[in-house]
Amino acid sequence: MQDPLAFIIAIAHIAAALASLNGILTTLGQGKVASTAIESMARQPEASDSIRSAMFIGLAMGETSGIYGLLIAIIMLFANPLVSIYIQQMAG
Amino acid sequence: MDFNIDNLWVLEIAGVEIWITRTIVNTWIIMLLLSALAIFVRIKLKSFKEIPKGFQNAVEAVVETFDNFVKNSGGEKLMPLGKWFFTVFVFIFSSSISGVFGLRPPTADWATTFALAFATFILIHSMGVKYRKTEYLKGFFEPHPIFFPLNFIGELATPISLSFRLFGNVLAGLILMTLYYSLVPLVLQLGIPAVLHGYFDLLMGAIQTYIFGVLSIMFIRGAAE
Repeated sequence: MQDPLAFIIAIAHIAAALASLNGILTTLGQGKVASTAIESMARQPEASDSIRSAMFIGLAMGETSGIYGLLIAIIMLFANPLVSIYIQQMAG
Repeated sequence: MDFNIDNLWVLEIAGVEIWITRTIVNTWIIMLLLSALAIFVRIKLKSFKEIPKGFQNAVEAVVETFDNFVKNSGGEKLMPLGKWFFTVFVFIFSSSISGVFGLRPPTADWATTFALAFATFILIHSMGVKYRKTEYLKGFFEPHPIFFPLNFIGELATPISLSFRLFGNVLAGLILMTLYYSLVPLVLQLGIPAVLHGYFDLLMGAIQTYIFGVLSIMFIRGAAE
């Protein structure tokens, strides 16, 4: 290991990429919500208004985990605590 | 590439530093425009007639649609809160739109979204105590007093997830737009960003505004009934 700081930054980037991967499962879940909602709308067109609002709420709830992954990735890239800890130790 | 929250200037009042950031300035700009619109509508209100026409028709349609929306999703009890939610809707949506005009959306700062979600948090509990009194407080100790810490943390998670949902969506759109502007050559920056702005700012802004409002009303209704 030549430069520990470069190593920390590289690991942080890999961690950000891994955190973004949760988008796969979030998207699958949201696709399932939307497809089920469309199926039930096709079966009962008169209930489509209430189904649509329930679908939006379900999508929003499912999206939360994807957003958390995104935030972890952003924190890893732009506000990484490990880098500042390392720099403090070097200075101190 | 720059999507940081810049610090424009620092005020010092009685030894306490107050940072005026880009978020605050953009919020002021949006507040100014919305207040001007509100005053304009208020002045026009005097000349409103029994039979709506033109501008009056549009204003009445907006107010009526929103009243129906609150009544349907929140019930009769929450009708007095309709004014507050209308304000929140207009503010969140216009701050999303401000991205089109090159401003940094204020909702891409966690401070703004957390303030809005914290207001929802206060409303949830004050409405719960107002309408269900001790029965509501008893709900924290169910099914057994041992579950109190779990219920308490669950309640604290509500504003955090609400605020992070809005913040993450707006910030993701902002980062993608900034990446696009800084990566592609000038030729490609001519017409294509309009489509991207339409998707990330207008469509996503409208959906997230709706989601924030509906979830807030649902949480408050859950506490009040």
